[in-house]
Amino acid sequence: MSVALKRTFAEELSLNEVVARYPDVPRLVIVKTDVQRRGIHYTERALSIVDPSIHQMRSPYIFGSRDGAIRDLPESLILRDGTTILVDPTPLEQNPYLVDLVDGRLALVDNEEVVEFVELWKRPRYYDLHTSSGIPMSHIASARPQRLNIFQSSYCHFWAQHKECKFCDIVNHTRQQKDELGVPIRLKPQDVYETVREALKEQGRFTGICLTAGSVLKGRELFDHEVDYYIETLQAIGENFATKKFPSELIASAFNERQLRRLYEETGLMGYTSDLEVLGEEKFDWICPGKADSVGYKEWRNRLIRAVDIFGHGNVGTGLVGGVELARPFGFTSEDEALRSTLDEAEHLAENGVTTFFIVWVPRPGSVFRDQQNPSLDYFVRLAKGLHDLRVRYGLRIDYNNYRNCGNHPDGDLSRLL
Amino acid sequence: MMAIQLTSEQKALFADTHTIKVLTTVDGAGKPHGKIDRSIHLADDGTIVYLELLESSKSNHNLVESIWFDRTVSVLVWADGERCIEVTGKPVRVHITGPIFERYYVDVRSRLGDVDLSGVWIIVPEQVTDENFWLKKAREESERPFFRHLDRLAKPDIYSSN
Repeated sequence: MSVALKRTFAEELSLNEVVARYPDVPRLVIVKTDVQRRGIHYTERALSIVDPSIHQMRSPYIFGSRDGAIRDLPESLILRDGTTILVDPTPLEQNPYLVDLVDGRLALVDNEEVVEFVELWKRPRYYDLHTSSGIPMSHIASARPQRLNIFQSSYCHFWAQHKECKFCDIVNHTRQQKDELGVPIRLKPQDVYETVREALKEQGRFTGICLTAGSVLKGRELFDHEVDYYIETLQAIGENFATKKFPSELIASAFNERQLRRLYEETGLMGYTSDLEVLGEEKFDWICPGKADSVGYKEWRNRLIRAVDIFGHGNVGTGLVGGVELARPFGFTSEDEALRSTLDEAEHLAENGVTTFFIVWVPRPGSVFRDQQNPSLDYFVRLAKGLHDLRVRYGLRIDYNNYRNCGNHPDGDLSRLL
Repeated sequence: MMAIQLTSEQKALFADTHTIKVLTTVDGAGKPHGKIDRSIHLADDGTIVYLELLESSKSNHNLVESIWFDRTVSVLVWADGERCIEVTGKPVRVHITGPIFERYYVDVRSRLGDVDLSGVWIIVPEQVTDENFWLKKAREESERPFFRHLDRLAKPDIYSSN
């Protein structure tokens, strides 16, 4: 697999310079963002205190890491304010932050300076168990500090048409994960039910469940099979709860109103996300050809807006792969222009009750954009601030996908005060 | 300001379940918010522990802003007019997950019933002030004599001559 270009960051503002430039943005959130942008490398000293019986090691995930390898390393990090850092092991030649042992504690280190002390995620107890069908429960639900991730199907039909999103490595990673770990490509609802049941026995451990999978185009209407499968899985999960509704998020294709009503009425689902990935029709058509051909940008956006009537204000969102709008060769050539365009589109969505959040784009070896470079830290901070400001302006909360229930969005970290 | 250690008397005041403890925080605009709270206690290492039950509370938001922007909070511990201290310090950590959080989560629910726990806040004490009124009165009258009203110093016969 190809490896991203070596990067020095010398021409960009440093972490401290960006922190000084934005005194109203918490340093800890800026640190998180930069760590996600640059990645991490665990030193041998750091790994010497890792205990797999206590710490959560990397478990199956829907996307791959930027080193393209599946290795037995700690899952990820958490900061002292409760901010989660979801970050990949990264080859040293890409100049990542080091996670090192300093005075007996794990610390993020850059240029031999301690940036911040960190902790590893704790391993949930259900990771030690198997379902009645014999599958390790860690292969059924991946844990974050407070969330259960159910990746019910790791195949995306856009790949079969060679129209996958250009930043995405889902199918390549799925094959690698199946070959190396034996992770099932498609989960059985009974296994999901049993795993969630065990996870709930850990009192105080989880605050939300997130389901996601690749797009499934088949059915009487587009995506009908995908919807049927989600309903079946959500109903199985719901068997564990005394209430009809439970804190949950579905990240899925852009469903029509009938499909959305089924999801809301027939299951305990409370939040719905359908990722546009990049805002603006021209960039969307280029970067997400499968989504563009099957639904189209404007209809995808309209389906999100219609979902607000069903799931409620603040419970519908769209995710962006932040920074991909600057990809070569057809992306914006100016960060200012990219930011203006993205925030204008996000404002249109916010006016209509749809919240927008982003993950930091990491060019992954298994994706079309594997040899590219993500934007500056300054850009990501401005994007986070801009999206958070829109939520403030339009009274949009992000409770269903916040720093606790998700933890993967710098703008969502800022919105924990809403 | 460096972390300080409390005296044994001050620690006893924290441990006394009959004392009233008030957490005061400020928001980004400087607007203060006070909250009487029974969960406030000292950890073995001398830090102050505050259990926040509500994610959306004003106290929680202000604590988040405090840890983000290095702001100070205060904890007033009141037993009576003679035994009262104010501790100011910085929130340096919040446990929202992990074994410490889960231990408090189970404990809080066993004591209070069906409540949630948002976070276990850790505040490092930086300064302690003795808020004993009579002590402070004596100090002010000794060190700041101009603050007194004259009638308090007048000869008693002035009043009887009316």
